[in-house]
Order: sequence, then structure tokens, then C-alpha cells
Amino acid sequence: MTVADRIERRHASILPREQGAVSLDLVIAIMAFLAALALGGVMIAERAAQSWQAGLTGRLTVQVLPEGEAAPASEVEAAVDVLRATPGVVYAGALSDADNLALVEPWLGRDAVVADLPFPRLIDVRLVPGATPDLEMLANRLRDAAPHAVLDDHGRWIDRLRSTAGVVVLGALAVLALIAIGTAASVAFATRAGLAAHREIVQLLHLMGAQDRFIARAFELHYFLAALAASVVGAALAGAAFTAAATLDQFGVAAVSFLPPLGLSAQELPWLLLVPATAAMIAWATARISVISALKKFY
Amino acid sequence: MAHGLSPRYCGSRFDSIWAEFQRHMVRFENVGMRYGAGREVLRDVNFALEPGSFTFLTGPSGAGKTTLMKLVFLAERPSRGLISLFGTDLSLAKRLDLPSLRRRIGVVFQEFRLLDHLSAFDNVALPLRLSGRRPADYRRDVEELLSWVGLGERLNDKPATLSGGEQQRVAIARAVVAKPDLLLADEPTGNVDPDIGERLIRLFVELNRFGTTVMIATHDRALIESTRAREIRLVDGRVIEMRGMR
Repeated sequence: MTVADRIERRHASILPREQGAVSLDLVIAIMAFLAALALGGVMIAERAAQSWQAGLTGRLTVQVLPEGEAAPASEVEAAVDVLRATPGVVYAGALSDADNLALVEPWLGRDAVVADLPFPRLIDVRLVPGATPDLEMLANRLRDAAPHAVLDDHGRWIDRLRSTAGVVVLGALAVLALIAIGTAASVAFATRAGLAAHREIVQLLHLMGAQDRFIARAFELHYFLAALAASVVGAALAGAAFTAAATLDQFGVAAVSFLPPLGLSAQELPWLLLVPATAAMIAWATARISVISALKKFY
Repeated sequence: MAHGLSPRYCGSRFDSIWAEFQRHMVRFENVGMRYGAGREVLRDVNFALEPGSFTFLTGPSGAGKTTLMKLVFLAERPSRGLISLFGTDLSLAKRLDLPSLRRRIGVVFQEFRLLDHLSAFDNVALPLRLSGRRPADYRRDVEELLSWVGLGERLNDKPATLSGGEQQRVAIARAVVAKPDLLLADEPTGNVDPDIGERLIRLFVELNRFGTTVMIATHDRALIESTRAREIRLVDGRVIEMRGMR
């Protein structure tokens, strides 16, 4: 006998455990598993968006576009000089050819032909934290010193990342909402089936003078404990899945460089407990509403 | 202002009519009852049970005895007429007031209606549990009562393991355990041997002696004669005879 069964036996043994309860437990466990996956997805998307943004904030990139086969070296030097003289810039340095090739390697591969392609020269610029240089003026000064220089403050990329992460988070929240509605509908259906199965008991209690809230409490407790136990199992399985995903690289599964790690940290995992807590509350509220509305039809 | 007072009684006749309502435990006035669109199973039923009275409800099968009992223990609403219970006009009572009225009534159902998943002890203790008493407070009372009906050794047995007569005794113990103001029983001695039947009737008489109003639906003429109680005879949904009643 489980702890939930013991608590229920002490407080609400007026209701027998109906047939088909295992199916409901299974549905709730699966729902909780999916909800915990969606919640973990929200946390991963948010974490990734923050890390992408943190990586790009406080940095600028200047491209010196090629004229013919290569970017003019004099313009690169001039652009670096202008940048180093700009207040708020702590570092400005041109990337070497090797760095440039390493950047395109994931897409174009490591081929001798690639090295001959006319790439722009990139200048990496780091700003003092919190510095907000006048980018328009800086772009004008760069254009004067190096006509082929283009300033990129990553604003467009950061905005895209923000909106992508927002869409992922909203999508996961929509999945969570759908799962919550599905759980509520399943519990409502099960409660009504339970009421129909126990109609004789409910009617007898009613005739013996039981208040509606007494009968409702027996159902509430019954479904609250059932949902709590089943959803703890579902959330625990999801937690195990995230923990396993965090250790994939130890088993030779390489992580994709531009995607965030799929695992949850020890600080993030406890948030998954929100799923059983919410599922149990949904079950409690749904059972209460279903039973009270059914009892209102009795004289 | 008395609880459940009908506006139609506000006037010169109020005092006398309200006094009549208060005086009776149960009062039926021109009560009719039909299920759905079917024919009336009770027609123009008028009677009153005084507090502390002992009454048999008799009549052939299909006469309407069970329906009349259902109206008294608030399982059904009448199609027409007035019913007052413990001085409350039911047509004016709020739904929230009904559970407290129901808790003052003990019912022995014809089909027993025990909860199969509960032991004999838990079935009998149910009315006490519903009234908010704690197990430690009622354990002894329930055990004594089950011993009185001859089931002291079967406290933990489930109804499915009890015979029909034993189940009936559990049902009777459950109906009387909370010492109700009104006890209703539908054929309570139908499934028990004469000795046990006599013992149960003694229990009802004893409860009645302590003030419980008792109404028993039965076919058993010997039982009626043995107690010399009042009798309401129903035939085809109408009261055709009232013996020993005012």
C-alpha cells in the first residue's frame, strides 16, 4: 500500500478505488512527463537566449570588405587605429586568416580552395562593460579612414535571437497550457465516470445528510493524491531524461556547436516539481467543480 | 420569525397554522406524487405524525408505501401538496438546510444499501462520521450496537460476506446509531428469523420509548398486532384508513 493510499484510507475511505484508475494514472503520468519536458524546454531556450545575448552584448565586429581577391591591409590597419582611439573600446584586433578559416569551416569545410576565396577581414572589438559609443559617428569615422569598412553592432542578430527565443518560449508555454487543459479534461472525465460508478454511494451519503462539500472533499482528495503520485512519476522521468541528455557527450554523442546544451543544471531541475504541484491542483479543482455541479442536481 | 415560514401563512390564520406545523414531526397536506409524466403513485395524501409516535405504514405491493417513505426522508420532491418536517415547510426550505434535516432521520432501506467496500463497523459508524464525530468518540457505541443486533463478532466483515439477515441488521444498526428523531424502516423484518425480528422490534420500541418517532412500512400483520401501534393504510396511492390516529 502506497503512502497516498494510506492517507486516503484514513481520510476518505468512503470512496472505493474505482476500476480504470490505473488508466487515469497512466494518462496523468504521461501528461506530466510532456509538461516537464516543455517546462525544461522553456528553461533551456531562455538560458540559451541569455547566453547568446551575453556573448554578443559589449562587442562589435568590423568587416573590411575585399577589393578584388583580398581586403586592403592598409584599410584594416587604419580601421583598427580608429577603433583603438575610440573611447569605451578596450580591445580591437583583426582576426588572422587561420581564425577566419576556422569560422567558416563548419559550413565550407577545410579545403585548399576555401583559403583562396575572397573573405572580408574581420576586426573583433570589445567594449568596456556598459559603454555606449556613438555608433553612427564611429561608422562615419571608419568609412573616412577605411572606405571598405562596415560596422556591425550585432543588433539585428540579437533582435532575431530574442524573437526566436521568444517564439520557442511561447511555443513551450502553449504546449504547457494545452497539457494543463488535457489534464483537466482527463480528470473531469474520470471524476464524472467515478461519480457515475459511485452514484449509489454518493446518493446514499446525500440521503444520510452529508453536505455537498463532505462528498466533494472525498473526491477531491482521491483525485488530488492520484494526480500527485502519477505526475511525480512523470516529472521524475522527465528529470531523468534531462540528466541523461546532459551526459550525452560522455557517451560520444557530440553536441551541436550552435545549439544550447539539452541538459538541466542541478539548480534548474527542482523547477520541474512545479509540474506535479500544478497537476495535483488542477485535479483537485476539476474534481471539486465536477462533483459540486453533479451534486447540485440532487434534491 | 420562524424558519421556513411560508408567506401564504402571514395573516390572521398564521398562529394556528404555524402551531399545527410545529406540533407535528411529519405532516402531509394534499400530497400527490408522480414520476415524470407517469400516473400519480400518491394522491391527496393527508396525515400527520406526532413527536414520539409509533406508526405502521401498510398496504399491498405497489400501493405507494416506498414512495411515501422517500418523500419523508427527502429522497424525492412531491409533485403537489405540502410536506412539513420537524416544523419546516419543505417547499420553502433552502437546499443547504436539507442535510441537517436528513441527519435527524434514520432510514432502514428495503434493499439495505450498505457500502460494500466498508466493514460492518464502518457502515454503522457512517452517520456518526457524517455528523463530525471522531472515531475515538463513537467506537464503543458502534461496537455495543453491533453486539446488540448479534454481530459483535463480525465487526470487520464486509457486507458481501454477511447473509441477507445479517446485512439487514447492519442496516438497522446504521439507522439507529445516531439516535435519530425520526426512524423510517421499509420492511425491516422481512429477511430475518422470528427471534431476531422480535429483537429488532424491541429495539425500535425502546428507541420510541426514548422519544424517537418511528414509522415502519410492513406487510407483517403479526408485527402490527404485537405492538398495537398506529396504522396508516395505503391502497393505490390513497390513504384509505388511519387507525389509532387523531
